[in-house]
Amino acid sequence: MKTQTPKKKPSGPSAPKKAGPVEETAAQGIWSGTVSFSLVAIPVRLVKSVEPGRVSFHLLHGKDYSPLERKMFCPEEGKAVTHEEIVRGFEIEPGKHVIMTDEELASVSPDRSRTIEITEFIDLQEVDPIYYDHPYFLVPLKGGEKSYCLLAESLKRTSRAGVAKFVIDEREYLVLIMSRDGALAVSTLHYSDEIAPPAADRASSATEATKEEINTVKKSIQGMMSAFTPEKYSNSRREKLLEIVTKKEKRKAEVEAPELEEEEKTEGMADLMSALEKSMRLVKKTGPANHGKN
Amino acid sequence: MASTLWIGNIQFGSITVPVKLHTAVSQNRVQFHLLHKTDRVKLHQRMMCKFEKTPVPAEEQVKGYQIDERKYIILDPEDLEQAEPESSRTIDVHEFVKSGDIDKVFIERIYYLEPDGAGKSYGALAAGLRDLDVQGVCMWVMRKRAHFGAVSSTGNALRLNVLRYIDEIIPAQSLGLESFALSEKEVSIGSELINKLTVKFQPEKYENEHQKKLRDMIEKKALGQKIALLTPKHLKPTAPGKLLDALEKSLKRAA
Repeated sequence: MKTQTPKKKPSGPSAPKKAGPVEETAAQGIWSGTVSFSLVAIPVRLVKSVEPGRVSFHLLHGKDYSPLERKMFCPEEGKAVTHEEIVRGFEIEPGKHVIMTDEELASVSPDRSRTIEITEFIDLQEVDPIYYDHPYFLVPLKGGEKSYCLLAESLKRTSRAGVAKFVIDEREYLVLIMSRDGALAVSTLHYSDEIAPPAADRASSATEATKEEINTVKKSIQGMMSAFTPEKYSNSRREKLLEIVTKKEKRKAEVEAPELEEEEKTEGMADLMSALEKSMRLVKKTGPANHGKN
Repeated sequence: MASTLWIGNIQFGSITVPVKLHTAVSQNRVQFHLLHKTDRVKLHQRMMCKFEKTPVPAEEQVKGYQIDERKYIILDPEDLEQAEPESSRTIDVHEFVKSGDIDKVFIERIYYLEPDGAGKSYGALAAGLRDLDVQGVCMWVMRKRAHFGAVSSTGNALRLNVLRYIDEIIPAQSLGLESFALSEKEVSIGSELINKLTVKFQPEKYENEHQKKLRDMIEKKALGQKIALLTPKHLKPTAPGKLLDALEKSLKRAA
């Protein structure tokens, strides 16, 4: 079986080569391609719209305080492998894999790997929030700015969202394209067969309350009504840790990491891109057991 | 039967609602292993020391806060413990807000809340939230972390929406988008086109066809059959000067 190098070539249009916030965002692109509706096609890049608040803490090696990095490791050879040395395999029986190349994966749904085609629009009000999975932004690429603004403005005016499916690596994502503060926002959705029916509907007779009981609760609720002010709620753990850091900093308790060899710039870039491209899938893998915030 | 993740009480004013937390979403998707190209060995994710280039086991890892280039303040296990919230079994509702006030971007995940025992308070809260179209903004502690969320109701059931803290949300302004002057004609045709193409949202309608096709392809390849390599479809961007024309043609087509 012939295997090809699974290189992540950015096959979409290139990013605007302009200094400033656009370039910064372009570097964080997860995917690039075209979003289309009817006869209008807009070149875009997909970027993140949320960032877990764990960025300022680093994992270090306790022995030498060198920073650690997440790598794929070959237990047989006892070394980390680069992105170019990794292939995807589907396990058909224990220890036996069918290797799938990037080209083959792109051939599963070739219409969807570089195009987010909005096939229909829906009313945002009709979407049960339980379907929302992960949010992203779309950023226009060169030449797409005007049609991007038009789609964002028209979606805002109509309070609608576009529905589309597209593919990154081996995964197909059902998405909504929405307007948010002048930008096009994307939310991946769960497929309906991934949503468990709630058990409470079956138990409703046991918990059915009387009118009087409901009214008591309502009175209590009405006495506690407020505007939604998310700024009031903060990640107290992060704040406490920062307090500890400040105290220790005053005591000059810092440690020094060893100087690292200059890394080859090109490899670093390629690794960054692959890591970002993987981020969408990694987000999915974060189960309820480890979604704690640091 | 879904397994219970956590048991506790929703609490506000003098009202207590005993609940159990259940998962609402489960994914069953084709999972690949990442293999080493040369020897087909299954790869493991490891934290590698950038200096020694060796894998570092969990017990040798420490947490550092970077204060300068190569300078860190180490957070000991005692420091981390000190930052842990006090363990608690209470979903503490601080206030109620109109359901529409919470932007969907805040939602990190949603759990089902099932009644723990046959308490009428569960039904009363579900009905109250539903009738008033409000959600209860709350904090609770689970797995040694303080969480921010909102208790909501759907039908007769309560849900717990885990919300993101506001500093985790990247504002659209940071994208540095330039706004473009659009003519009223362009926006009104764009809106009309959207209205024409709007359907009722029926989530059951959307199937993961890709998953089936992917399974078929894997099967074919396992049998040694050749896979046809297809080129991804690339669309030519609509030129700004042709936008109005494309919109008008689209509208005609949708009519």
